[in-house]
Amino acid sequence: MLAAIQTLVADGGLPAPTQTDANLLWARLQMAFTLGVHIVFACLGVGLPVLMLAAEGLGLRRGDPLWTALARRWAKSFAVLFAVGAVSGTVLAFELGLLWPRFMGTFGAVIGLPFTLEGFAFFLEAIFAGIYLYGWDKLSPRAHWWSGVPIALSGAASAWFVVTSNAWMNTPQGFAVDASGTVVDADPIAAMMNAATWPQTTHMLVAAYMVSGFLVAGFYAARLLRRPDSRYDRRALALGLALGGAASLLQPAVGHWAGHVVAATQPAKLAAREGQFHTERRAPLRLGGLPDEERMETPWAIELPGGLSFLAHNDFDAEVQGLEEFPRSDWPPVAIVHVAFQLMVAIGMALLALSLVAGWSWWRRGALPAGRWFLVAVVASAPASALALEAGWVVTEVGRQPWIVQGVMRTEDAVTDAPGLLAVLCVTVAIYAVLVLGCLSVLRILARQPLPEDA
Amino acid sequence: MGPELIVLGILGAALILYALLGGADFGAGIWEFNTAFQPGDDERELIQRAVGPVWEANHVWLLFALVLGHTAFPLAYQAAAQALWLPLLLALAGIVFRGVGFVFRAYAVDSPFLRSVWGAVFALASTAAPFFFGAALGAVASGELAFTEAGAYAGSYLTGWIQPLGIFTAFFAVGVCSYLAAVYFTREAANLGNEALVATWRRRALATGAWMGILAAVGLVFLALEAPELWSGLAAGWLLIAASAVSGGASLWALARSRFTAASLAAAGAVVAVMAGWMLAQYPYLLPPAIEVETAKGPEPVLWGAVIAASLGAALLLPALALLFRLFKAPPGVD
Ligand code: HDD
Ligand code: HEM
Ligand code: HEM
Repeated sequence: MLAAIQTLVADGGLPAPTQTDANLLWARLQMAFTLGVHIVFACLGVGLPVLMLAAEGLGLRRGDPLWTALARRWAKSFAVLFAVGAVSGTVLAFELGLLWPRFMGTFGAVIGLPFTLEGFAFFLEAIFAGIYLYGWDKLSPRAHWWSGVPIALSGAASAWFVVTSNAWMNTPQGFAVDASGTVVDADPIAAMMNAATWPQTTHMLVAAYMVSGFLVAGFYAARLLRRPDSRYDRRALALGLALGGAASLLQPAVGHWAGHVVAATQPAKLAAREGQFHTERRAPLRLGGLPDEERMETPWAIELPGGLSFLAHNDFDAEVQGLEEFPRSDWPPVAIVHVAFQLMVAIGMALLALSLVAGWSWWRRGALPAGRWFLVAVVASAPASALALEAGWVVTEVGRQPWIVQGVMRTEDAVTDAPGLLAVLCVTVAIYAVLVLGCLSVLRILARQPLPEDA
Repeated sequence: MGPELIVLGILGAALILYALLGGADFGAGIWEFNTAFQPGDDERELIQRAVGPVWEANHVWLLFALVLGHTAFPLAYQAAAQALWLPLLLALAGIVFRGVGFVFRAYAVDSPFLRSVWGAVFALASTAAPFFFGAALGAVASGELAFTEAGAYAGSYLTGWIQPLGIFTAFFAVGVCSYLAAVYFTREAANLGNEALVATWRRRALATGAWMGILAAVGLVFLALEAPELWSGLAAGWLLIAASAVSGGASLWALARSRFTAASLAAAGAVVAVMAGWMLAQYPYLLPPAIEVETAKGPEPVLWGAVIAASLGAALLLPALALLFRLFKAPPGVD
């Protein structure tokens, strides 16, 4: 066990912090940390408008002021979360250039198109957020509802565009490099529509709706545990669960699709993700287990014979390449990728089960399960969905190492030479701590505002 | 005309719009220092109403310029990111705290303590952002940054960006933001029909405007001494300098005559002329003394792609922006 933990640490993919390598270490941590925070707010930016619109629409259609009150309150939280998402995204836009100048210098033109389009989508989102948030008294109720629709659409579009650029880092295409290392023949459309684009963007959007739905549902479940008969909280919970639950029915299938594309395009990532060291036919699907890079095996896993061959190539007898096919210097940190992947899939399956139970009860009895256990499970689904989101990004990003652009540019060749990155990282962590705490404290104040009568 | 010039034009326009709109939002924060010590809530209310609906949209002009910059001129972006990383990070910290400071203050409804903390953060950060952007622009304009043609930077990462001209432009940028905000707010207060606020903001706008006139005149002398290259470029564009002076003067005159929409337009015109003059003077260099438009531009299809994307995007964007500003910025009775 100790040895395993030691390899886990040594395999962290993080080079020993000598003076020359230190920048790489700090830049990666900086990137991972800021993205990891941004992505949660970004998901809420995609999913909350849908919930807001649903509540406002129900209020309009049924003439029920309770739904409208819910929409108004969610709109306030959305304003706060959207602002944090926007500023943390601005940090990323600067960071890509500041931390990885040679990446942006070399490939900026190739992947600039989706970033430009994302810029427009975000522009529209910001404009209509202004109209929606400040327009309650300036627009007719119907026009106000419509002013929210572009928020939801452009939020999804902006997520779609950014993720295409990440997909491009995984399966780069649409350019050629000449002898001096300069990009020639850039074809931005081909770059944007790369092999990983559709599965990754779909998986990401579904994840965004899951995370938003379960975070909202979890919050109201926690309140219901304390005041079980608030009508207002019940409705909010049901709406959140409807969104998160519906998305979680799709997610395993979409994830499987993403996995298929990884198998075809990034065999080293696939092998690391599954803890597959040796090339074999009838490769087993491993549940659990902790890969050991030294001994080249993955102990403590439950092995389903032929499972991996089937999932990756639709054939129980297909050959799956192991890590032994690749030079050591091209291995990603195996244990991290494998554990993160297991975590994501396990959570995905658990959330699917929760949604099926809730859906079944709704269908048979017209109500959500009544027991306390159900509320507790919904509370747990909130952090779980966010954890699955982070784990999925670890699989994608750490699994691609040592490449920043798969097979084309190594991460160590892209990093900046600027000094002081450790100091910048410390300051960034401190700033983000203030942001997140500030955001939570304001959300708490909003949550404590008295409800309209008869809630 | 090559596509790089069209992109350059769009980029310049985006930067100017950012200065006019986003700059005024920074100015609102800078004035918050002042209002923090005043009794009435009126004033803060005015800032909230004026800035709330539009600041996120105004902020996107910067993001748009960033993205267009790294798409169309990747080499210049790479070089600037290295030489100016410190002032850009400091400006970024300002942007981050300006945004959340403003929103947290607005929504921390019943906690006077949190409101005053975030109000102070809002004010400080709104000052820091234009200050460091100004410093970075001035450092570029000075031509003293040790860029190489290959997009590398050979100067000091820590102190290279601190240039005398940059210090001047840093203060100048803060001044421009406060002036724009004061003039726009005079108009907003007039739209609200609040005479007391109109008087306060008009006084502030006049004082800042006079002060900015002096600063601009000093700046020209300074430029002639510190950045002779830029100065000789600028001298050719004397028309723009003259336009800026006239426009600035006109904005003061209109303020004095209580023509607030005209004053806002004239103040904006003065800023447009200064920025356009600077850009023309610097052309064909993006980053003097080594990096020119020609060497830094991306491949041709990408540039055309950017032009097409920008045109299609504009077709969606402009009507939406028009709606936003009509709803929240038109004088009463127009809608
Ligand atoms: C709520 C979050 C969530 C849940 C429940 C799942 N995923 Fe996921 N997954 C993500 C959130 C996510 C993600 C964070 O959104 C990633 C990271 C990159 C991406 O495009 O999606 C991701 C990546 C990702 C990848 C890597 C893609 C790549 O590297 O290009 C695979 C193979 C899967 N997922 C597969 C699955 C499977 C088989 C699941 C079964 C239940 C699953 N995911 C559930
Ligand atoms: C469009 C989206 C994204 C882009 C363009 C992107 C880009 C990058 C870049 C440039 C790096 C540094 C180079 C590298 O290590 O390969 C990186 C690293 C990393 N990113 Fe992403 N990223 C994206 C999304 C995310 C998200 C949402 C997360 C959230 C958790 C994430 C997690 C990480 C991690 C953990 C690393 C460090 C990997 C390592 O160094 O071992 N990424 N990403
Ligand atoms: C509605 C959802 C989202 C919002 C409001 C949002 C907000 C922002 C903003 C304001 C920026 C800077 C603007 C720009 O560069 O155009 C940004 C950049 C970024 N975001 Fe998000 N984001 C969202 C979704 C996502 C998702 C889903 C991901 C990751 C998978 C992501 C990863 C990134 C990255 C990598 C950048 C930097 C890229 C760049 O230079 O443009 N964002 N985001």
